Amino acid sequence: MKKYLPIIASILIVITVAMVIISKKSEIKERDSITESQINIGSFKREKSCVQQPKFLAKLHVTPPVTIDLSQQQFKGLAFLYGKNFRQVIHPKEWEIFEHFSTYAFDKEGNTYLAPMPFISIKPTTFNLQKNIYKLDSLTGKLSIFMELNDVLPTASNPYGIISLVYDCDDETLWVSAIDKSNYRAERGAIYHIDITDKKVLQKIEGFDALTIRLLKTKQGKFLLAGSARESALYAFSIKNRVLSENKIKLLALPNANEHIRKIKVKSSNRLELQTIFFSYTLIAETSGKSERQHYIAKLNTSIGQWELSVE
Amino acid sequence: MTNEIKISIAILIAGVVILVGYWFYDDFALDNKSTSKKLSIAEQIILPQYSASTYRNIAEVQSYLADLREIVREGKGVLPLESRELDSGGRLAQEILLHDKKFLEGTVANGKPIHHDMMRIRPAIVASLGERSIDICKKNSCYQAEMYNFVDNATVRAIVDIENKKVLEVHHYSGMQPDISLRLKHIAESIALNAPEIAKELKETPKRSDMSMANVRGALQGSICENSEHLCVAPTFSDHRAERALWAIIDLTELKLAAAKWAGLGKTTTPACISERSLQNRYIMKNFCEKDTALEQNGWKFLYRLTGSDGLEVIDASFKGKSVFKSAKIVDWHVAYEGEGVMDESGNVQMAGRQVEFVQGEKDKFFFGYNDAMGCPMFSTSVVLPFNAPLVKELNDENHKKVGFYLTQDYRNPKWPMACNYRYENRFEFFDDGSFRVVAVSKGRGCGEEAIYRPVMRIDMALGEQEEFYKYRGSWNRWLTESSDAQREATLYDQGKYLYKISDKYSSRGYYIEPNRGQFHDKSRGDNATIFVTKYKESEGSQDLLTLGSCCNLDEDGVERYISKNESIDGENLVIWYVPRIQNDARAGHEYCWADTIIGEDGNLKVRVFPCTVGAKFVPIP
Repeated sequence: MKKYLPIIASILIVITVAMVIISKKSEIKERDSITESQINIGSFKREKSCVQQPKFLAKLHVTPPVTIDLSQQQFKGLAFLYGKNFRQVIHPKEWEIFEHFSTYAFDKEGNTYLAPMPFISIKPTTFNLQKNIYKLDSLTGKLSIFMELNDVLPTASNPYGIISLVYDCDDETLWVSAIDKSNYRAERGAIYHIDITDKKVLQKIEGFDALTIRLLKTKQGKFLLAGSARESALYAFSIKNRVLSENKIKLLALPNANEHIRKIKVKSSNRLELQTIFFSYTLIAETSGKSERQHYIAKLNTSIGQWELSVE
Repeated sequence: MTNEIKISIAILIAGVVILVGYWFYDDFALDNKSTSKKLSIAEQIILPQYSASTYRNIAEVQSYLADLREIVREGKGVLPLESRELDSGGRLAQEILLHDKKFLEGTVANGKPIHHDMMRIRPAIVASLGERSIDICKKNSCYQAEMYNFVDNATVRAIVDIENKKVLEVHHYSGMQPDISLRLKHIAESIALNAPEIAKELKETPKRSDMSMANVRGALQGSICENSEHLCVAPTFSDHRAERALWAIIDLTELKLAAAKWAGLGKTTTPACISERSLQNRYIMKNFCEKDTALEQNGWKFLYRLTGSDGLEVIDASFKGKSVFKSAKIVDWHVAYEGEGVMDESGNVQMAGRQVEFVQGEKDKFFFGYNDAMGCPMFSTSVVLPFNAPLVKELNDENHKKVGFYLTQDYRNPKWPMACNYRYENRFEFFDDGSFRVVAVSKGRGCGEEAIYRPVMRIDMALGEQEEFYKYRGSWNRWLTESSDAQREATLYDQGKYLYKISDKYSSRGYYIEPNRGQFHDKSRGDNATIFVTKYKESEGSQDLLTLGSCCNLDEDGVERYISKNESIDGENLVIWYVPRIQNDARAGHEYCWADTIIGEDGNLKVRVFPCTVGAKFVPIP
């Protein structure tokens, strides 16, 4: 019997390894099948955010409602609009030094984080500004570079760098998207998870161009919603234990091939408002015109996990 | 080694092989599957090669245009549906609507009929009724009608109570398009069947039975021809054996083929994914931005490509085997407007989404404007985009005699000819005698009068390793250092034509430069140019240049930075920068660099273009 021990042992080894491999592979298959199909991300509702507006506004006796103007139509950089019909403006000249901004996010202290944007006329300095996250201090209103992502390198064949950001109230971090590495052939955008306190990149996933991002909590968990810069579609990435899944879920596609989602808002329970623009990784002026923006309402049918899209 | 050990090793090896095979099998199978699928649905885009006039002889189109002209002559703006498309109730509803003031509102503007087509009239469905109408239409027979406004790209929808002969509701939907009439469906099919591009793709004359097209658009929706907000539909020719279909996008506003695309029959290739603009962009990127195209014609041989921000570039051009230039392109358009009074120094002025630059002029004058980069439609710093692909056309002289060919690329802001939108043409003319001309054309419209356009042309000559540059001042004077010259101030021309020449130092081979002073029979008012000659440096424009200099400082063209060191150009590889200066003109009867729109005799918008054409001709020295 002893002489057959090596044979028995080798059979056991092969069986054990086979079981591990089979189990691992079915796990991967299951994950892939979830990615490929439209899954139900679960019902959601509009929630109160932890963030607050900058504290310096109160010092200036500015009473809500206040809005931030990043349209670049009237003001370069950023401006706060308030008062009747938002006719009153706070726009110090110093807020123009980093050129143009695309999106912003408040934190719970009232600091404002800003993502840059190239706009129509390129200067020699423009590309270098696209790698920075900017911060407007809540108390002083001072605008400064908060953090540089040195691997973000825009060029003449893709002038965009960091393009969108969102604040995460759960762990006081930022989610940031950049699209500089992409070209006509390859989608090489990145989503970064950044610790605000240490200014450290906690996670970076690559291979997706997110023109805009937004966090969403549903009954199924936490998701990062992302409007694709390449496709006319809305995607979701699951977040578990502060880690962003690399597998994306396609939630819906827009009817127009040239439209891309630029803003995502939770309108009400199971309803998103999607604002779209034409986007082709160029600097054509039409992207800035209000009339070129389309608004959609995406309604989730929670029983079947399907989205219904209508023009707002 | 015992037999048992050998068997154990064999089991382990076999196990490893089987498990490795199992691990990778799916990937391999998937790769093969996806590769074959990719091949079967490989995208192939066809852009139109012929203008709208190609389709004017089609019987359905002729009859439609004749009917349109007839109603416009009668002072009406609405082309009614033909009786065969209507039941008796529909005919009555149409009659009521065509006399209803509210429904007809906007069909005539300033006395000019505006082209509208009645698209559909059918019994009203409850879902389209307002609350008040629901009650009425429960008792009475109601019809709903949809009419399309071709000029404003809008739809009017109405509900008619035909028993009381009353219009119950009229709604206007801006930017929306209804289902099309059967008549327009037939016209679209006829255009597709007669399109030479479609016949070429199908390798036979297509038949109506080969084609499918839904005239029902499902709901009011936007156009697939976003470029100009036209009414478009997409008839399809399916090839079930090859699992692919040819989609022909037909522009019913201009009555022509807008684009076509071969695509798979699958779910991912529905018409929603096919639009004129996305097809154009992808075709141009793939064929002209990502690779060079070779052209050999009439003794000329060169490559060309679309750049990221320097327009159409012709490279490595030779004539009858002898090199002529390494690169020729228009790197920028400076656009400046003259203003008077106090200059805005806030730095916040925007025009059509562009940040405007201001430069103080003399006395109380100032200049403002911006730089327009022309480039690839995607992944570029381009502000003005290429429409259609580069085209090669026959070049004729003033007596219509063929004298060569030209390569041209059209660049436009999508909203041209609306105010503050621009259209430029980059044209390279190649003559049978070895002459060539780099031509810049502005077709307006810009933000108004008093505009000064300055295209910056860069021509890197390749006559030899060492070149020499001369200016004519009664005799030919050689330039020894980098310099510039104001052509607009010149009075003496060799043989009445040539102001400059460039030649190889060691052979007599060279080119005269003949500035345009209006002698090229293109209604040009002259170049009024500044010429710069620099020593070739890789960093000075051989790659894509971002905007070069100020739009609005008329004392500088931007190239000055390259001649500031006054380097020797004696026997160097030379680059010529030629910067014409054009003043636009919007006066009636004198328009120049201008475009406007009028309502034509068929009630549709007609664009009138008044181009300004500039560029010097390079003529071989005998």
